[in-house]
Amino acid sequence: MKISRRNFLKGSATTLFLAGFNFPVLANTTKKKNLVIIMLRGGMDGLCAVPIIGDKNFEKRRKDLILDETIKLNSDFALHPKLKNFYNLWQNNLGAIVHATNIPYTKRSHFDGQNLMETGGHIPYAIKTGWLGRGMKLGELKGDGLALSLPMPLLLRGIPSNDNFYPSKKRLPRTELLQLLKSVYADKSEHDLANMMEIIANRSMMSSGGTSMSRKNSSLAYKAGLELKKINGPRVAVFEVDGFDTHAAQGGVNGSHSDSLIEMDSIFKSLEKGLGNEIENTLVLTLTEFGRTIEQNGGRGTEHGYGSAIFMAGGLLKKSQVYTDWPGLKRKELFEGRDLNSTIDARSVYASAMSTVFDTDFKRVQKEVFWGDKLQDLSDKLFKI
Amino acid sequence: MKNFYRKVAFGLGPKDKVPSDPLEWATSQLNDVPEFSWKGRILPEKELRNYYRDYVYGDRKVLRKKFKNDKDGYKREKNKLRHLTGQKFWWNLELCIRHSEALKSETPVLAKLWYFWGNHFAISEKDFLAQYTTGAYQREIIRANMNQTFEKMVQEATVAWTMIHHLDNNDNVGPKSQEAQWAKEKGRKVGVNENHARELLELHTVSPECGYTQEDVIQMAYVMSGWRPNWGKRRLETGDVHFNSEYHQPGTKKILGKKYKSGRKSLSAVITDLVNHPSCREFIAMKLCRYFITDNPTKEMMEPIIRAWEKSDGFLPDVHKAAVEVAFNYSNKHNKFQNPENWLLIMSKMSDVELVPTPKLMDLYTLGLKPTHEQRSLEYLLRELGHHPYLAKQPNGWSDLSEDWMSPELLIRRLVYAKEAYYKKNRKSQTNEFYEEMVEKNYDNPNEILKTINQQGDLSNRHVMLFNLPETLKS
Repeated sequence: MKISRRNFLKGSATTLFLAGFNFPVLANTTKKKNLVIIMLRGGMDGLCAVPIIGDKNFEKRRKDLILDETIKLNSDFALHPKLKNFYNLWQNNLGAIVHATNIPYTKRSHFDGQNLMETGGHIPYAIKTGWLGRGMKLGELKGDGLALSLPMPLLLRGIPSNDNFYPSKKRLPRTELLQLLKSVYADKSEHDLANMMEIIANRSMMSSGGTSMSRKNSSLAYKAGLELKKINGPRVAVFEVDGFDTHAAQGGVNGSHSDSLIEMDSIFKSLEKGLGNEIENTLVLTLTEFGRTIEQNGGRGTEHGYGSAIFMAGGLLKKSQVYTDWPGLKRKELFEGRDLNSTIDARSVYASAMSTVFDTDFKRVQKEVFWGDKLQDLSDKLFKI
Repeated sequence: MKNFYRKVAFGLGPKDKVPSDPLEWATSQLNDVPEFSWKGRILPEKELRNYYRDYVYGDRKVLRKKFKNDKDGYKREKNKLRHLTGQKFWWNLELCIRHSEALKSETPVLAKLWYFWGNHFAISEKDFLAQYTTGAYQREIIRANMNQTFEKMVQEATVAWTMIHHLDNNDNVGPKSQEAQWAKEKGRKVGVNENHARELLELHTVSPECGYTQEDVIQMAYVMSGWRPNWGKRRLETGDVHFNSEYHQPGTKKILGKKYKSGRKSLSAVITDLVNHPSCREFIAMKLCRYFITDNPTKEMMEPIIRAWEKSDGFLPDVHKAAVEVAFNYSNKHNKFQNPENWLLIMSKMSDVELVPTPKLMDLYTLGLKPTHEQRSLEYLLRELGHHPYLAKQPNGWSDLSEDWMSPELLIRRLVYAKEAYYKKNRKSQTNEFYEEMVEKNYDNPNEILKTINQQGDLSNRHVMLFNLPETLKS
């Protein structure tokens, strides 16, 4: 381990100081930019996905979970060997990682943590809207959200008329019936229902024959990619991947944590396929409630921890990099003596991403979406501005 | 006015007579809590909790260790354990019991209010509560107290095992308690967990309208510290809830300006004061109006409910009757968007769809086996509709607001499962006459409705239309 915490901090102090004077240039309105968030539920183990190279503490405390044949990203960090699609992106400057980061939540409840990762707040269940919904409202993106799930995720709440896609196993009624219902809704001034039925009727016309589509994330992501690509399509999409809560048999390369990471990886691949060239104008970020303990437990799994990592993909990234203010893994450097610390508030990354993609001043995002909390503008570090 | 039958119940079925006095028909259902109309087996909560225990113990203490290097073996054995403890069966049985009250009982109005209270004191998706004990909690703690005072319901719900576990009160330890001392000596850190305390104030009783502070929440958590399951090596966290003074924060606590002595009795004393706070009755009155009448209740609507509460000291049958009467008086002015479960039950009742598997079919189930497709049909259907009552996402339960149920996919589900339901009907009710009679009985504008749905030639499409008309979606 050659890097020290101090090295990483160099340079960031000056930009912090300048952040307030750094007004972004107004949008080039002809270019449609997309933001995709993948929620990783259960606590994604950043140290399994992006392990540190050559750290004795790490190797000692996790000896049964150390991965063989990881992919070397730089002199300090490697990548889980099953994340092949992400690595492809990385090689083309379309993939990057923020490490040792988390939302400012230090307790270890999934439910509170998942609530906070979606609201962006500090007190579980106190806020009823999501940071992404509030950001979209600020960017005036009504009707531009697409959730790949049945209910509207809390993350998107805060702006009306979002669409969702999670195909039913059953065939839709005929378009004619849908049109009739739409006109009944309109006649009765049921505008919300009429709007929804319009979306449904259009969808029914597009789908050929009504064969039921798969609900696998890889298929949903391909579909979402095609939609995001359209100039009048959605600009924001939200995915969910479950199963990161691996208390047992987390295993190595073929363990249960790998299964969930592979599912995440498949989203990257299918999105890229669906988006085609528009991957250049897209930013994909992951979001999780917390990382996992460094130490393996008696069942060769890990417990709920704190610091984790964010995967980022897309052409709006500045470059391939592992961006981190690495806190170290010696016992005294760990959070409460057991977890990777978080040295970057994950909300700084999300606020910077929204500022970049929605062409909104970072300060406004900070103030109106995150209540003026102390966040860093990382736009020029991480993204093309 | 006929929307009143759907507003406070699930409409009138083909065998139901049209009541001569609708209000009397509704309020007379609210005096008692009758036996369940489900004729199959009904298990006590404690027995179901034992199955939960067997699952948790078997997974955590046995399988995780035994299969630490064998992911596939672990998955396989865990699946066996799921079936041995009925993990995929019990909640389906609970849904049968629940839905029979709406569809087969003499008291559908009571059933609709039961669902309201179950959601008010919601157990949201956590661990495997939904699969084992949430349904039983709703029977034994919620429904059983519907002919008692609101206070009694709060007292019992607050210390119910399922609620304590759901809101993490097991982790709520007084920082100056004996346990905290011991933990410190061993180098462990313990302290308050405010979760349950906050929800007791915010969601269950006075609501933020009453103006409590963060300090009140912490003080409430101190009062609640020590209420936890009796822990055992084999039963783990599934023992009965009791008050353990070793975990209790010593000293006087102060909540909303009033002082409480430390100890076992303080929680009950605080609850008594909370339920008698004016904000509590206003909050409940508002929620009842929001459930039955409109997304935006007015003071005038809430007023009679608050008065009934004050007159009866929160005696629930009186509160319920007042709410139902307000719903009756506003039935011509407001239509309330029906959540997916209530909508499904309205459709099943009015159009005579056999939704609930028979007791005979359910009682055929043997532990260790995977339940059949038919035995699991309700759980599947509710999940597909996006509204499983035991799987709310947050402790504030499922939303009452129509905007939260507006998504293209959620409305698509209503279209496709209306069609599915039609094909589950018996042939004799698949006739024009059946639909004409049903529409006549349940809607104030039958001619207009029939004219609209008859634009579709096929009867199954007319059925889909009917149950997706604004008049049905909003009742």
